[in-house]
Amino acid sequence: MDALEPELDTTPDGLNNQGVYIYHPSKSSKAHGDRPSKRRKVERVESDQESCPFVPLLNGHEDATSVELRYRNYEHLWSAQDAKIQVSVVLSMGNWLGLIMLQKILGDVDSEVLDSVSKFVRETSPETYNGCVPAALVTVGSNVSSLSRLLTRLNDRLTTTGEGGVVVLESGDAPNLKTTLKNIIRAAITNTEGNDGYQRSLNDRDGPRLLGYDLDLLSDYVEKKGVSDLVLALRDSEAFDPSLLTDLISLLSSWLDRIPFTLLLGISTSVELFEGRLPRSTISLIKGKYFELHEASNCVDHMYEALQAGGDAKFWIGRNITGTLFERSSDFFQSPEGFVRMIKYAYMSHFFANPLSLLLADELPADLPHDKLCEAIRNLPSFRKFCEDLLDSGSPKQVHQLLEDDEFLFHESLQHLRMGQQRMRDIFQSVKAIHRCLQSPNISKKSSVSDLSVLALAGELSNSSIVEDIFSTVKALDSDNLQDFFAILPQSVTGDSKFQEVQDDLSGLLQTYQDAVPLRSEYDHRHSVVKTTVVQQRVKLSKGKAKLPKQDIEYTKIVDRVQSLLESYLAEILVKPQDLFLHEVFLFDMRNPLKETFGPRPRFAVERALSNPFDYLISTSEDTGTRISTKQPATAILYQLYLESGALVNVHDLWSAFYAVFESHGGNNCDEQMVMALFYRALSELKAFGMVKGSRRNIDHVAKSAWIGL
Amino acid sequence: MKRSQPDSSLDEVSTPKRQKTTTVNGFTNGNIDAPKTKWHHTCYIEGIWLRTPTHKAKAKALFSTPTKPSTVSTPSRGKNADRSAKRKSARVLFEQEDEDVWDGADKLAEEILEEENGQLDPPVQETEGVLETVEADSGEAAKTKKTPATPKRRAGRPKGAKNKRSPTPEGELPPHERYFFQNRGGPPRTSNNTLNKVPLLTHEEYFEKLSQYVDPCGKQKDFLAGLHRRSFPQWNFEFDQGFNICLYGYGAKRKLIQQFADWLYHAHSSTPPSIVIVNGHTPNISIRSIFATIVTAVLGSDVPSKLGSQPVEVLELLQSALKSRSSQKPINVLINSIDAPSLRRAVNQALLARLAATPKIRLLATADTPNFLLMWDISLRDQFNFVFHDCTTFTPFDSENDVVEEVHSLVGRKSRRAGGKDGVGFVLKSLPENARNLYRVLLAELLSMTDEGHNSDDDMDGQGTGREGQGAGEETGIEFRLLYQKASEEFIASSEMMFRTLLKEFHDHQMITSRMDTSGSEILGVPLSREEMEGVLEDLVLN
Repeated sequence: MDALEPELDTTPDGLNNQGVYIYHPSKSSKAHGDRPSKRRKVERVESDQESCPFVPLLNGHEDATSVELRYRNYEHLWSAQDAKIQVSVVLSMGNWLGLIMLQKILGDVDSEVLDSVSKFVRETSPETYNGCVPAALVTVGSNVSSLSRLLTRLNDRLTTTGEGGVVVLESGDAPNLKTTLKNIIRAAITNTEGNDGYQRSLNDRDGPRLLGYDLDLLSDYVEKKGVSDLVLALRDSEAFDPSLLTDLISLLSSWLDRIPFTLLLGISTSVELFEGRLPRSTISLIKGKYFELHEASNCVDHMYEALQAGGDAKFWIGRNITGTLFERSSDFFQSPEGFVRMIKYAYMSHFFANPLSLLLADELPADLPHDKLCEAIRNLPSFRKFCEDLLDSGSPKQVHQLLEDDEFLFHESLQHLRMGQQRMRDIFQSVKAIHRCLQSPNISKKSSVSDLSVLALAGELSNSSIVEDIFSTVKALDSDNLQDFFAILPQSVTGDSKFQEVQDDLSGLLQTYQDAVPLRSEYDHRHSVVKTTVVQQRVKLSKGKAKLPKQDIEYTKIVDRVQSLLESYLAEILVKPQDLFLHEVFLFDMRNPLKETFGPRPRFAVERALSNPFDYLISTSEDTGTRISTKQPATAILYQLYLESGALVNVHDLWSAFYAVFESHGGNNCDEQMVMALFYRALSELKAFGMVKGSRRNIDHVAKSAWIGL
Repeated sequence: MKRSQPDSSLDEVSTPKRQKTTTVNGFTNGNIDAPKTKWHHTCYIEGIWLRTPTHKAKAKALFSTPTKPSTVSTPSRGKNADRSAKRKSARVLFEQEDEDVWDGADKLAEEILEEENGQLDPPVQETEGVLETVEADSGEAAKTKKTPATPKRRAGRPKGAKNKRSPTPEGELPPHERYFFQNRGGPPRTSNNTLNKVPLLTHEEYFEKLSQYVDPCGKQKDFLAGLHRRSFPQWNFEFDQGFNICLYGYGAKRKLIQQFADWLYHAHSSTPPSIVIVNGHTPNISIRSIFATIVTAVLGSDVPSKLGSQPVEVLELLQSALKSRSSQKPINVLINSIDAPSLRRAVNQALLARLAATPKIRLLATADTPNFLLMWDISLRDQFNFVFHDCTTFTPFDSENDVVEEVHSLVGRKSRRAGGKDGVGFVLKSLPENARNLYRVLLAELLSMTDEGHNSDDDMDGQGTGREGQGAGEETGIEFRLLYQKASEEFIASSEMMFRTLLKEFHDHQMITSRMDTSGSEILGVPLSREEMEGVLEDLVLN
């Protein structure tokens, strides 16, 4: 095997030119010369604690315990959140199919679709369908990844009960009928028997040896194992070649008396479109039922709520990231897994790169050296703001102490950190409360928790139209509904003494008022009266307040008090998180590593590198302007010349322009062949990037095929 | 175009252009009108040529300088547009393929255009004035290069039929506008220059030159690579958390990958991880061989003797092996150029995605092309579970691209035998005497034939170089019959059978080309340049 001789074929620069090989360190270990000091440091850390992949921050001055503590923090926090995601999804979404990381979830929480599909699989047989192949048509829509989860679970069920199994087929597995059959047979047998079992069934067989694509193999297997349901799932059935699908289905239907096939077709467009691609004769061979998987967005909302609004949350992701996350989920159809991964990456980034994330630990070791840490805290923008606020409020002494005394600062920081975390929790409590209020039937505009959270994280929720809507609705509530409304308010509001007063007054009022009709405030539209007057032959409508009974006037007062209480409560709770001291520690809101890491723009990167190479290469000379010069890499020069051209480029002229750049720089001693070599290299790179292609229209012309910025 | 003639006085980029104007004006200084017309013609071509290198940022600044000519030329442009006869004649002039035909057929067109010269004279004069002043302060080469260009075209354009629609995009156009601007209908506005007079490079020359090249950005590139190296622990952490990594950006990333492998190996020096490296750009790499190598890395010597011929089978074997070995450490698979042509196919990408989704497989892939993301739909992206990092290195793709071959195929030059002269010589050494003699005869015949045709070419452009010979080598060939006759005369081949056997050997090594000419007879040629042919012949005769 070629991989066993890796050192055979190396280029002078030490790179191996084989197609694929197992890495062995070169004897000389070239890299050692590169940066020995750095390597040693890393190695030391690694040998101390084998499992900690973090590196010391703060210019490398962070000590090993802190680094490790940071890592443990991350692991601890994320595993808790991860578990929460699973549970929240399972509990809150009884019928939602896409259960994240199924293997971790207790098997008894079931989803509707899975149940109905497996019921379908069990109950149908060719007999019930007059000899047609039973087929389950599953439309997945944008929720692509859910189908594979469904299939995995279905397979687990069928194999554990010994009824059969699921063979998942992708369009890539089916280039032609023979290979497709071979893949089906192999997958079906290895599913329960393993690879050896497949080999055995292929070789140890009485009679003539069968070829790999002979369905006799499968029928033997079915007979031997007593399989009653063999599900053949085509995950992306639209991507299959229709003629292949036709052949396959007719073949399956003719073997149906020996092998109990059930087809499961994953459809991402619509059943009608799928049907339209197949001939009628094929359609008549299958008969089945239609299932629909639901969209992913709902699930994403619930996961987000579980992560952010949990009562014991310690760390939050900010508004920018939330925005990006939901934008991706709604626009690009990111799968729920992708959503979780992105959040995970946000957590990873925070703990990997922020030395202060150490402070999030439940308990810090007493002997933790924190001089560097305090220095870092003093450099925070939020520390600066905090100090300024202190100065404004006239306590310069405290500021002095914060700046001078490490111990004091450390202590204060921890305290403020806890306070800040509590504020964040309160914010999300109120978000949840507002969300609950919105659920009440009187409010037409519904917003999801995520929308509210985005507003809250930006500090804009208390002034938003959503909250105004709630207030106007509350004011119009009658006394019965108002009491219901009190029930959904969070404890922190209802526990307040002023609020208790209001509540007492209300119940007092209600006791004196013993009518079947509930009390209404003056804001209720039933109390407004439309007057009609005729002025100069025109009808004039004017609204006015009807005269209110005395109790209603009292009630109105109470409603007004409720509103002002709520208003002040929200204004107090819904602060802008960025205004909190040490928000850098418990709030992660940098859009950039995340956005670029999950939604890269490689074309932009390449175009930028070529059109403005000094964005990447730190130039030593002063002329870093947009000018083309020989200081730039050759490909960048050629690319910039290419940008100026029309759709058709004369290579000769391109070459002359390219040469002119070098000629102007080097003067007479410019080596034309050397420039030509560079030109060759640059042109071949542009070709490899798909920016130029040969043109037959004119001799020595190439066609331009990429426009910058498009 | 005479722009490659050496200019004694100035080394500016602009020199050729100006020089051209002066020469044209110079050699016909008896008649003022005639050169003007001619001047317009050349200007048009120049203008087109100039459009290519014009940098938009500078172009903007320059338009302020030649205010006078532009204002003066406007009325004449307007007048011009009305005169359809003139427009036609101009078109006739522009459509000429070659300057040689210039004096012959289109006298009439010139004469019609001459009428305009009285009016046009002032602008032209002024333009030249601007030209001179700008070139006088030739402090900045690039600026000068541009400056004469713009006024010249401005003055010259009005004569052209398409004056309204082919200015260089001025200022910063938004990308889509630029696209439509550069894709307007109409004939291609490029010059008729060809590469015939430019000496192209052979493989040897290319590599020889490149080995002497000193990179002006070497330091910065090293610095950039150093920045990327600092991310190694981060990548390791991402691996650790179950992500796969994809590196993109301009520049080859092989060295970086190699260093990452070194780093991984040394970072865990107590229990070195298994690392499999894939070079995606290797011409005929197969997915199966990648999977098989990974299986080897996992199982060591326990690899079953028969792996199965389908990549899927190998993949499933790998997955079951990984599942059954719970203590197995993760396998790092580093793929260079996952978007290389041989891996690019959808089937291959789907298989790689399945590999990436396998637990205990950590995949790091690099991608070079700008549009590689199009290879993966959402379900593949989901399986790959990539985090992306911009790793622009600016390292040239030396081992990834076959540069000379690519460029030659791009400009329609027949791809030549990769081995060139040395390769042919090497093959010949291993062939019997007869074959060598036959090749000698073939080369001698071809060379004598090209010599005949060569002289006339030489006269035409006055600077015959190797390019002609090369072109001739491709064009000329010897008829099969004729060569057979010569061969039998020299007792090389006694029968046609034998002759064909010898030729087949050459064919197998791509040392000869064969095609059918119009009469249906087979023409044999040699895919070598004239110099190479001479060199091989010399070696053959000497040995």
